[in-house]
Amino acid sequence: MGANLLTNYGEAVAMILFGIGFGNLLLQSNLIKKIIGLNIMDTAIYLFLAEKGYIEGRVAPIVTDGVTSVEAYINPVPSGLVLTGIVVSVSVSALMLALTIRLYRRYHTLDLDEISTSLKREGL
Amino acid sequence: MYLILLSIFFPIFAGVCLFIKRENAGRRNLLITVGVCLTLTGLLVVSALFTAYGVDFTLFHLTRSLPICFKIDAVSVVFAAMTMIIFLCAGFFSFEYMKHETKEKRYYGYYLIVFGVLNGLCFAGNLITFYLFFEILTLSSMPLVLHNGSREAIMAGLKYLFYSLCGAYAALFGLYFIYHYGDSLTFTAGGVLNSASAAGHTGLLLIAAFVMILGFSVKAGMFPMHAWLPTAHPVAPAPASAVLSAVIVKAGILAVVRLVYYIFGASFLRGTWVQTAWLTLALITVFMGSMLAYREKVLKKRLAYSTVSQLSYILFGLALMDADSVTGSLLHVLAHGFIKSTLFLCAGAIIYTTGKTRVDELRGIGKEMPLTMWCYTIVSLGLIGIPPTGGFISKWYLASGSLKSAIPVFSWLGPVILLVSALLTAGYLLPLTIQGFFPGADYDYEHFRKQEPSRLMTIPLLILTILSVLIGLFPTPLIDSLTGIISAIL
Amino acid sequence: MDFIRNFPCISIMLCLFAGIISSGLRGRTARWINIALLLIVTFLSACTLFYTLSTGESFVYVMGKFPAPWGNEIRAGVLEAGMALFFCIIMLLSLLGGQHKLVKEVEENKVFLYYVLTNLLLSSLLALVYTNDMFTAYVFVEINTISACGLIMIRQVGRTIEAAVRYMIMSLLGSGLLLLGLCMLYDLTGHLLMSNMKESIAAIVAQGEYNIPLIVSIALMTVGLCIKSALFPFHAWLPDAYGYSTVSSAAILSSLVSKGYIFLLIKIIYRVIGFDIFINTRIIDVLFVFGLMGMIFGSLSAIWENDIRRMIAYSSVAQIGYIYMGFGMGTQYGMVASVFHMLSHAATKSLLFIAAIGLTDVSGGSRKFIELTGSAYRNKWAGVTFTVGSLSMVGIPLFSGFISKLLFAQAAVQINGKMLPALIVLGVSTILNAIYFMKTVIRIYTPVEATAYPSVTFKDMKLYAVVLVLFIVLNIILGINSQPIVDMIEQGLAMFA
Repeated sequence: MGANLLTNYGEAVAMILFGIGFGNLLLQSNLIKKIIGLNIMDTAIYLFLAEKGYIEGRVAPIVTDGVTSVEAYINPVPSGLVLTGIVVSVSVSALMLALTIRLYRRYHTLDLDEISTSLKREGL
Repeated sequence: MYLILLSIFFPIFAGVCLFIKRENAGRRNLLITVGVCLTLTGLLVVSALFTAYGVDFTLFHLTRSLPICFKIDAVSVVFAAMTMIIFLCAGFFSFEYMKHETKEKRYYGYYLIVFGVLNGLCFAGNLITFYLFFEILTLSSMPLVLHNGSREAIMAGLKYLFYSLCGAYAALFGLYFIYHYGDSLTFTAGGVLNSASAAGHTGLLLIAAFVMILGFSVKAGMFPMHAWLPTAHPVAPAPASAVLSAVIVKAGILAVVRLVYYIFGASFLRGTWVQTAWLTLALITVFMGSMLAYREKVLKKRLAYSTVSQLSYILFGLALMDADSVTGSLLHVLAHGFIKSTLFLCAGAIIYTTGKTRVDELRGIGKEMPLTMWCYTIVSLGLIGIPPTGGFISKWYLASGSLKSAIPVFSWLGPVILLVSALLTAGYLLPLTIQGFFPGADYDYEHFRKQEPSRLMTIPLLILTILSVLIGLFPTPLIDSLTGIISAIL
Repeated sequence: MDFIRNFPCISIMLCLFAGIISSGLRGRTARWINIALLLIVTFLSACTLFYTLSTGESFVYVMGKFPAPWGNEIRAGVLEAGMALFFCIIMLLSLLGGQHKLVKEVEENKVFLYYVLTNLLLSSLLALVYTNDMFTAYVFVEINTISACGLIMIRQVGRTIEAAVRYMIMSLLGSGLLLLGLCMLYDLTGHLLMSNMKESIAAIVAQGEYNIPLIVSIALMTVGLCIKSALFPFHAWLPDAYGYSTVSSAAILSSLVSKGYIFLLIKIIYRVIGFDIFINTRIIDVLFVFGLMGMIFGSLSAIWENDIRRMIAYSSVAQIGYIYMGFGMGTQYGMVASVFHMLSHAATKSLLFIAAIGLTDVSGGSRKFIELTGSAYRNKWAGVTFTVGSLSMVGIPLFSGFISKLLFAQAAVQINGKMLPALIVLGVSTILNAIYFMKTVIRIYTPVEATAYPSVTFKDMKLYAVVLVLFIVLNIILGINSQPIVDMIEQGLAMFA
């Protein structure tokens, strides 16, 4: 068990980071901190993917020196997934930030709980 | 076949049309329309009973194994005929009575719809069709309860709705099991349980049976789910209380008959804990209903409690699962139907002319409204069970069936409680007659005024009274035909 | 006839392009494009449905030139095509029914954005339904989330923005879990296409290796999708999001968006993991328990609610619980019942939202029950429709709700361990349903003497009334003509395997 953790330390770190990000997104009441949590969570998954796609001692599958053997390259698909994921995560973060600005202009606070209380006071 | 469909859907359709019709048509036109619709429906039912007896047809399939189908058998005839007679009488009675109520159009609309739905209930050929109409019955009869729109009426309506829906869902709960362990849901004399697939699940099926009996008996006001009945029935307009108390509660009885004798089969339930529990509950209700009626001061409420008690006579007879007792039960269905509708219509006539609702206000009422009070007295005697009225015959059969059934304890306890309850019945019904006709020396004869209601009210009363007496005088043809039913199902 | 195989792809593309084109148009034009798009996609989906029904098997459409293990694929069977068709119909009806509110509640110069968002939403729903690739599914889950969030906050009041933020947060948590689970599964199998994943998973299970990672990844994906579809403990965002957004959004969100995720979960269960392996994981027991709790607590919250829109929203929580209870039974019958309930609930819930708006409109815009008294007389069409919806939810025969309850019960009596809890909770929740829906129906039909609010007639709301009638017809079709639909669902699930 311990040995496995040590060899797969990248994945282990990714999981820990994911936990941190998830916790922040779920539990923080400050919206900016939530968004940071979201980004940590997403990054953790990219780390996980990258770690899984990388094979010790090989290079990115770009044919420059005529080597076409599969043995020489790493798996390119996870890298592709990471790129797609980054695009998604950027757009989601942007949307969240935009929403946060909206709420801040209206209620002058970033605390979601406070916003809820002031909404209840508004009685709408 | 078309007659069956027509007798169900014509009144429903007519009722719906009545809602859509514009307000300003005038009361006279409304009454003529309703009268024609009622009579036509009556004729349709009669012709359906005569021509379509035994016809069995499927309207459409809800799912592959769940057809919506209709069939007229002997039990349908008994219930449909009673429904028709009482609905016609109470309908014409309400032409006069509803003068002092508002929103007549709505009342008649729902009245017609309920009529159609009850026909559907009587003609239903399988449990799912029955359940469908049972639910619609609850929903369409609820507006009759909350008719006058007061807070009390609305609360009563809600109470009625929730008790009935809970009952229906309890029944639905059991239906799932029958669907799984039975051959089909079609009403078949002797039951539909598939002995191969039901083997080993008897305990489960007994629980399902008990839950279903309890659920359907909610409509018939059996203890412990009786509380809605004395709340809901009296707040409705009197003719509506009459049909509620005399016919709509019988839907619960019909449901139990169908369930016990046509779905589970008497042999499956006989001698089980379900029968014992059911008998116990029925007897408790008989006694308790009478006691509560005895203590009640408002006339209509008193009659409602009396319904609770009388319906459990019927349930008791059904629970005994003995030829005589079931005969008695079915007879009592008819007798109680006619009697209770008469009683409520009498109460309605009294309220309509005098505006008095409490029993102790009604001293000397017999002098003022002799015809009404004579009807009241005659049917009261019937309900108590004094020969030669209908109630006597039915109770006789109930008691003798109970004695014959040889179920320990209940075979002798039943008749005793029936007797005690009959005494109580006399105790709560007859004081009105006595005070009504013999108000005592201090009665103010100066202000005495004869105020018999109009013919539109008295004639339905008379018809129903005569019918209830006729059952008692000439029960033989009825009993013969009932014996036919019973030999098939037991 | 083989060109019909292109239709699923064409419908997704059409939706995406319509979204892009609409972003440069005025509100009215965008609206017409949206309606035309919905009609076209409805037609295309219907063609696909008939095609798959007539061939009796599903087909795979290869996107691009790469064959199976590498390229991206679309797969269409009876269930997929049927779902797509159904989604289109419901969306069309919801949009038309809420149109008059949209004009009032959304700023004039932002109306076109609404249609951009709905087009995107439809594209993502279709993609979720049709795709055969897990990562594509993830991307479209995110697109779905973003456009749904836009639909919530297009009506700019404080509540909706807050609801949108809460919705986003919960959704992002869900999609984060989904992504993680997906990556782990990719790590285990080395594939992203559903069919290939399934083969490798079967091989892995047969060898008895990687048991824990497999279960963890299945659990992560399931929990992620549960959060996104608002299963009971994760439903906190739902009442605000459904309660305050403009009515079309509420109808679309409750009946389509959550169903899209559930459909994806079904696909994962059948097409990725394999039904038998999924059942053996015990995750179904968790789903079963949470489903039951959702049925009870959703209904209880609805009873305590004093706002008609929020009440309907809470009722959604209960209905989602039904669907997960069906999953949790772990039998084919339970699955069929769940899928049917998806349809039934989508039809009924959008009907209720659209009908409720008609009632609140004639009550001065207030959604409190006290103000709604007698509103059914002021707007007769909405009153009747709401009653039909309520009867369906309560489970009166002839309406769709009864059939789904019947199917659930039928499924429940066939499994010994879960029979009694399922049936008892089904009964209790039906009674609770009856309490709050019947309460509302009686409330709206209680006459009031004098009222300040005007009545509306057919002339004032032709489109709205027609939509209501169509909704009722749809509901009754589901209720009366259920057998062919159930057969189709069974056939579709068989094609999944």
